[in-house]
Formats: sequence, structure tokens, C-alpha cells
Amino acid sequence: MGQKDEQDGPGGGGTRPGPLASLLALLRRAPRGLPPVGQTPHEVAWTENKWRLLRFAPRERHHRTPVLLVPSLINRWYVLDLGPGRSFIEWLVAQGHEVLCIDWGTPGGEDRYLTWDDIGGRYLGRAVRIAARETGQTHLLGYCLGGTITAAYAAAFPEGIATLTALAAPVDFEHAGMMSAWTRTPTFDVRALIEAFGNVPWPLMQASFQMLKPTLGAAKLIALLDRAWDDEFLDGFLATERWGNDNVAFPGACYERYIEELYRGNRLIAGTFTVCGRPARLPELRCPLLAIAFAEDHIVPLPSARPLVELAGSRDKQLLVERGGHVGAVVSRKAAGRLWPALHTFWSQRD
Amino acid sequence: MIWDLWKQGFSAWEQATAQYMEKVLTNPGVLGPAGSLLTFAMRTKAATDRAVTAWWSTVGLPTRRDQERSLHKLNQLESRLYDLEERLARLPPR
Repeated sequence: MGQKDEQDGPGGGGTRPGPLASLLALLRRAPRGLPPVGQTPHEVAWTENKWRLLRFAPRERHHRTPVLLVPSLINRWYVLDLGPGRSFIEWLVAQGHEVLCIDWGTPGGEDRYLTWDDIGGRYLGRAVRIAARETGQTHLLGYCLGGTITAAYAAAFPEGIATLTALAAPVDFEHAGMMSAWTRTPTFDVRALIEAFGNVPWPLMQASFQMLKPTLGAAKLIALLDRAWDDEFLDGFLATERWGNDNVAFPGACYERYIEELYRGNRLIAGTFTVCGRPARLPELRCPLLAIAFAEDHIVPLPSARPLVELAGSRDKQLLVERGGHVGAVVSRKAAGRLWPALHTFWSQRD
Repeated sequence: MIWDLWKQGFSAWEQATAQYMEKVLTNPGVLGPAGSLLTFAMRTKAATDRAVTAWWSTVGLPTRRDQERSLHKLNQLESRLYDLEERLARLPPR
């Protein structure tokens, strides 16, 4: 009964299935459980503490320089490999790219002492060097907080980085929307939070994301009732929801610096941020740079992402603003038609 | 048809409510007390944990924090070893 055509129902006569058809589709789908994610074949190239470096090798390699993907710390890596047909990694591998992706893992209690320098300096640095081992350099893409981490790293340690892509990456935290207002509240004591919990618990992180748009849950329910009769929509919806509810705790010491120096101090923009003791000044970014922001992104608004291109010292730099939200614009069917080819072209032309 | 009309109404409500909620949730009059409440709860939890830990350590047993610190140090040592291995691998052969 599922239809891929969004306009017509099963009879093709122009009547769209409604909520009842959606409910029946959900009932039929329930026994199958959540869709599998992270299915693109890979090997584990490195493990250290909780993080792993995953390598996805193409059958036939068409591009010399590998691509290293760096997701956010607090969401799972498989947003970039959501499932067959909706996986950015699967698509890149099909184009002949060698792809590596960091899986940050799940912090244990002892990781409350992990600092920004440990994660965004030592661990990321190791991943860059492993990715660049064969060819001497690697393309680097950071998504969301991963983009902030990679931008700071690339500004401090440019060695081995062929290009930098910042995908919906907050850089200017004065204009980071509601998160800026919340974290700059004087009565919010970050140190007390870390002292109480160690790592910032994932339910707290998830609740804060939900509070960015409290009506989103209701809107998703309506969208589900409207379109669950479409098997392809339902698979994508369930995969994205699986990822969205699979959040990760934030290592305490790293979180404290993230809030104090970035959200409150805005030190990347001020030019006073450091990574492992080295200054991370954005004007000293010289590698080719592609910053991508999304017009309807309520998590990383355009004013937060745009300054990376304005401040970077690279001669080859561009800002791409696409339609869509923070996650949908990266994992939807439309992304395969626009965003992914744009990234592939950017890297191919600078191989 | 009815469903489509209802959806339009919902969409209008949702947009208006989202805009209103954003104003409420960025209002200093809301954020200040909420921040204070969160901070108070966190400080209370931390103080309670410290009291329990202090009692636990009087019987001579390692506390959770002791174990976490030790584990973290082990992880740091492992990373330092990897750093050294990398440096050794980069040295020119003799």
C-alpha cells in the first residue's frame, strides 16, 4: 500500500491517503521495530579510550585524498550513515571516495576529566594523521559541534588538512539563538552542573534541544499521521527519530570550557581561543574552506555559522546557504540531489 | 479535505506558538529564576554526594571519584604512549 508518489494514493486517482492509512501503516510496521542504521560496510581503523575511527573503503577509488568526517560529540556518528539509500557515507563511497568517520563513543564516568584539548586536539589530531597517512593530507568535514571542533583545530594545526568543510557549525556564539540566551544567564552555574553530574547527562542535553522548539513534537506527530502511509517517508522518519533520541553525555571538563570560553566568551571570534596551547585564530585558516548553513536551522542560525567564512584567511572560501533545517537538510532525499553532490564537487576539484 | 484544512489550522497554531514560546524561553524574567533553580538543585546534589563520599572514604574504601581519576589517568597514559609511538614511527631509520 505504501506509495512513493507524494501526491497520489494507491489508486493513482489523485486522492491522497489520510491519517487512517497512516495509522494502519504504523500498525503493520510496529512488529519490525526501528530501522537499522550505520549499515555501510566499514572497518575500525583506530580505537582510543571510547572513540573509534571508522574506515569506509570504496570498491574502486576515484579520488586520491580521503575524507574525514567529524560529527558532534553529543549525537551519534550514524546520522551520516542513516540507512541504505539515505546515507551520506554510502553515497560518498559509491562516488569512489575513501571515507573515515569518528565515532566519539559513550563517555564513562572517568571521562568527566576529558578536556577540549584532549578531544579537539589530541584525539582529532590523531584521526587527521591516520587519515592523511597515505597521501599526506585529508579533507576534513565537521558537522555541528564537530564543525566548531574542526575549525578550531584547523586554525591551530593546519598540517595535513587539504580542505575544511564546516557543516552547520556554530562559530559566533553571540548569535547562536536561544542557546546563547540560556548559557549566558548569570544564574546558570556551569561548575555546579559539572560538580553534580561529572558528564552532562544526555537527558539534560536532549531536553534543551527539545526546548529550542517545544512544538516540534506535535508537528512531527502530525507529519507522521499525514505521511506514514509512504513507506519511504516512514523509514526515513523512524531512522532520524532513532538517531535524535540516541543522545550522548557531554564530557564535563570539555563542556565547561565549551560554555565558558565559547558560548560566554566567544573566544573563537575574539581570536583568543587555543587548542593544546596553540592559538586558534580563524584568520590563520589558509586551506580551502566551504561553510554550509541552512536557512531554517533553529539550532545553528545563519548568523552563527556565517562568520567563519568572513574571518578565515583562506583565499579559496565560500559560504553555501541551503534550504532546510539542521538535520533534515543533511539526511533527506533532497540532500542527495543537492548538498551531497556539492560536497563531492568541492572535494573533487581540490583533490 | 477536512484533514488538509485541519493541518493548515494546526500549522498556523504551531508557528504562532513556537514564536511565543521563543519569547518566553529567552525572557530574562524566566531564565533568571530557572537558572537559579537548576544551580540550587545541582549544588544540593553535589553537597549530598560529597557528604556520602566523605562517609564512604572514612571506612578506607576508594570512592567513585578516586576510581574515575585513576581510570582517567590510565586513559591519558595510553594516549601518551600512542603519541610516543607516532613520534618514533616518524623518526628516520638509523
